[in-house]
Amino acid sequence: MAVAPLLGAPVTLRASLSLALALAVAAPAHAELYYLIVGGLGGEAEYQDRFDQDTKALAAVARRTTSQNRVQVLTGEAATREALVKGLESLRARAKAADSLAVVLVGHGSFDGETYKLNLPGPDIDGDELAKLLAAIPARSQLIVNATSASGAVLEKWAAEGRTLITATRSGFERNATRFAEHWASALANGSADINKNGVITAQEAFDYASREVADSFEKEGTLATEHPQMAGGAAARFTVARLASAAPAAAAAAANPAVAALVAERDKLDGEIEALRARRGEMTNEAYLNELQRLLVQLAETQGKIDAAQPAVAPTSPGPQASPGTPVPQEIRQ
Amino acid sequence: MMLDRAAGLLLLCGIASTASAFTIEYSRDRAPELVKCDRLLYAGQRTEAQTCFLELLAESKDTRIKADAARASGDVRAANGLFQQAIKEYPQDVAVRVRWGELFLATHQNNEAVKLFEEALGLDEDYAPATLGLAKVSAGRFEEKAREWAQQVIDESPDDALQAHLVLARTALEDGDIKAGDEELDRALELADDHDLTPLEIYALKASIDLLRGNTDSEWTKRALALNAKFGEAYATPAYFYVITRRYREAIELLRRAVEIEPDLYSAHAELGVNLLRENKIAEAEQHLQLAFRGDPFSAPIVNTLRLIDSFENFAVLQHTPPPAAAGASSSQNPGAILRLHKDEAPVLEPYVLDLVNRSIETYSKRYGFEPKEPVVVELYPDHDDFAVRISGLPGIGLLGVTFGYLVAMDSPTARADSGFHWGTTLWHEMAHVFTLEATGHLVPRWFSEGVSVYEEWSTGPLKGRHIPLSVLAAIKEDKFLPVAELDRGFIRPTYEAQVIVSYMQAGLICEYIAGRFGQTGLEAMLDQFAARKDTAQAIELALKITPQQFDEDFAAYVDSELGAVVAQLEPWQEAQTQAHEAASAEDWRLAVAHAARAIELNPDYVDEGSPYLVKARGHRELGETALGIDTLTKYRQRGGHDPDALLALARSLDEAERKADALDVLEDVLLVAPLRPEVHLTLGEALLAAGRATDAVVEYRALLAMQPHDLADAHYRLAKAYAAAEDRARSREHLLYALEIAPHYREAQQLLLEVVR
Repeated sequence: MAVAPLLGAPVTLRASLSLALALAVAAPAHAELYYLIVGGLGGEAEYQDRFDQDTKALAAVARRTTSQNRVQVLTGEAATREALVKGLESLRARAKAADSLAVVLVGHGSFDGETYKLNLPGPDIDGDELAKLLAAIPARSQLIVNATSASGAVLEKWAAEGRTLITATRSGFERNATRFAEHWASALANGSADINKNGVITAQEAFDYASREVADSFEKEGTLATEHPQMAGGAAARFTVARLASAAPAAAAAAANPAVAALVAERDKLDGEIEALRARRGEMTNEAYLNELQRLLVQLAETQGKIDAAQPAVAPTSPGPQASPGTPVPQEIRQ
Repeated sequence: MMLDRAAGLLLLCGIASTASAFTIEYSRDRAPELVKCDRLLYAGQRTEAQTCFLELLAESKDTRIKADAARASGDVRAANGLFQQAIKEYPQDVAVRVRWGELFLATHQNNEAVKLFEEALGLDEDYAPATLGLAKVSAGRFEEKAREWAQQVIDESPDDALQAHLVLARTALEDGDIKAGDEELDRALELADDHDLTPLEIYALKASIDLLRGNTDSEWTKRALALNAKFGEAYATPAYFYVITRRYREAIELLRRAVEIEPDLYSAHAELGVNLLRENKIAEAEQHLQLAFRGDPFSAPIVNTLRLIDSFENFAVLQHTPPPAAAGASSSQNPGAILRLHKDEAPVLEPYVLDLVNRSIETYSKRYGFEPKEPVVVELYPDHDDFAVRISGLPGIGLLGVTFGYLVAMDSPTARADSGFHWGTTLWHEMAHVFTLEATGHLVPRWFSEGVSVYEEWSTGPLKGRHIPLSVLAAIKEDKFLPVAELDRGFIRPTYEAQVIVSYMQAGLICEYIAGRFGQTGLEAMLDQFAARKDTAQAIELALKITPQQFDEDFAAYVDSELGAVVAQLEPWQEAQTQAHEAASAEDWRLAVAHAARAIELNPDYVDEGSPYLVKARGHRELGETALGIDTLTKYRQRGGHDPDALLALARSLDEAERKADALDVLEDVLLVAPLRPEVHLTLGEALLAAGRATDAVVEYRALLAMQPHDLADAHYRLAKAYAAAEDRARSREHLLYALEIAPHYREAQQLLLEVVR
């Protein structure tokens, strides 16, 4: 049985088949994902280039992940306080409770011990004002990625129910220019962040990937890390931030062909059984577990083979533009 | 300042308040009451001596005497307080300061001791015991200054110079100058006789001389024990000379005797513990170190070593039986190996370490005609300080590896992850020591053992090419090489900063020279002579039929022929180097290539940091001259260049140029410098699989998996693929299931699973 969150909405935790069914029933029919990406003021050419590049990469991912008209990108001189406020206010008007919102802030932030500010051309915007604007947006599922320096300052103030909050630093006192945005962008574009190989990258997978890349980059340089990414909120594993090419054709085929839809449903049922088996692993001998796992996985592989045969061939795990967003893609929580 | 000193000592006193009480006193101004008790102690009447000291402690009206009595009775805490009080009461008494300094010396707080000795000299610059205190501190640090202080005492206060002669005797013996040591001891004996001082320590050193001459049944030991049957130093002092000449097994036997007759000789328990560790007898070592700690809680080496033993629970001990001899191979015996690797690293490093150990045993057995009689224990420490404690009890030692016979301890690649540390070469070097030490019963002099190891690095090791640092070339230019018969001095008591590394390289060049002129049998013949207890001069005459003087002359000519041109061009080379780097910084790649080429021409062996090969290769890459870039990096590698990023770049270029086999060779080299980089195993695994070497690919992917990479499903899948190619379907299935357990929709893994299980 399919779980039916639409693209961008939280994909369903498949802790058990029954839970999946329950969530499928509750899932909204027309949830949309809205993206807002802000590339702040670089100050120096080197930083401005880097921020522009990161913003551009993120925008590309966003545009292939949801429809163009739901993606706002503010960068360079256009990324003013006024434009940002306007953008967030427009989201307040457009987004519905069932929709999802992803906001990514790239650039320099500052913190004076009390107030966090996002550096923008012209007047900056402070953290409290941003918090109010974000809270006013009805979308209940929100992902806020503050990849700026000193972003850890907002960890507590921006926390909210239904919101996954990611910051590049662990406090407002990590003030060096950050690398997180670059690695976050890479995570969304890169198949290797897709740990469970399902063609969908969740906020959790992207965070794990980017955090690790940040730490590795400092280690390779032999320097002390000046940023320590943080994540708050419990829905990251269910928030789809990007789709890889492999996920899309099946969705399209399932939508168009009842036979494929039945196969997809069969595949999802097997997914649930595998998940349930994993939960019982401690009660079984390793041999029995592997035998049963093999039985299910072989069935899953055969079913997947039939689904693949019913759709155009694509490179299995390579990133690429999405053909048709909006069809359910089973998602499992990261182990 | 004095408060700090007291606080420091009391801090240690908080652990326990006893320290080894047996100290021989030579001060001629020592109070007669104390001397009376001393004599009981020297005669082995320990109980009576203790009673005597305790009575003085209770009854004497003189705080200075009470302080000494407290110290002699083993109550360091009380002694410390009493010395503090005595200084207040007798602020101008230099002897009190020196005595307190001696207490700090006995509790391993040398810096505090030095301050007190210097304060005493501030009050009386001619006070010989204070100068002697400085000499003893310097001697403990193997500083040349020790001799100067001791000689000063002998010159200025000959009647107070018994201990100064002992300092000179010890340093001479440590240098292997038995004759000079013996002469100093004879003078010490005269003074002991003249001033009615106990000769116990002198006898122990005399016995050490006999031992160094090969006489293990010394009359001097008997004489010492006749004076005091419980004088453990009669054995422990000669044991020290066994230890510094790396004859650990013999030292252990003597130390066992020492603690048998003097169970509270804590320094001997400590030495015994440390040397048992060198023989891999961990449990017994720990027992003696625990005893030593109870008696001497002030010793950092003891505490550090006990902590290290505790940390062994984080290490895996992997026993390997010898590999089967290849068909048609000689019947050389490999006794196998025991690897002690940190649990975090063992799954990755084990196959590479084992392979190198086995290859080195095979190589050296053939080259030196000696077969190891025991399994070789190889320990790799990811924390350099743990390694340093393993070898010396103290952190901060600037070595990479040490061999104690059949036990090798060294830094693991993690310990020096940021320094381009070529762990494979270090292991190869240390394994050569196993052979030179064991083939000679540990009688090989340091220089020759190091020389063979360095020569083997250059000639048979995993990092090809002669690798001579610039500091050594500069030393050659300044004619700083020592005569061969004195070369050990350069290792043991260096007189300038780079002398140890200069001595290593000189020794390596000497062995290279011997092998070139006299053949490999020349080196073997030298080992035979050392095994027969010949010294360097004798070994050269007997093995090579040449006088040491002639050898030095011929060797100098060899060095000149081999390195003279490079040495003569050091300045132009430096200039070309600088110009190459400047041009590279300015991104003038054509100019950078030209200057780098000139630098390479002047000193083609330089592959260390900032090597012109790397500048030239970068220039070629920037200019799109791929073939020239490959050629440059290939030459760099052939000369021993091992920067992992440069080698990975070379491997990529070779792969792109369809030189797959060459690329594979290069990647395999990278393992010996950067085995803990996942991408190395990933790339090498792919290359091996493509080359049809599935079993070798399995090793790489197992290593990759052991590193717990971010993409575990992918790592399991790759390993499964290699197993499938190696026709091990069971393991392939297992890892496919693990991959799909993490990522059930992993298409490639699904497809392979269907192939494997159908």
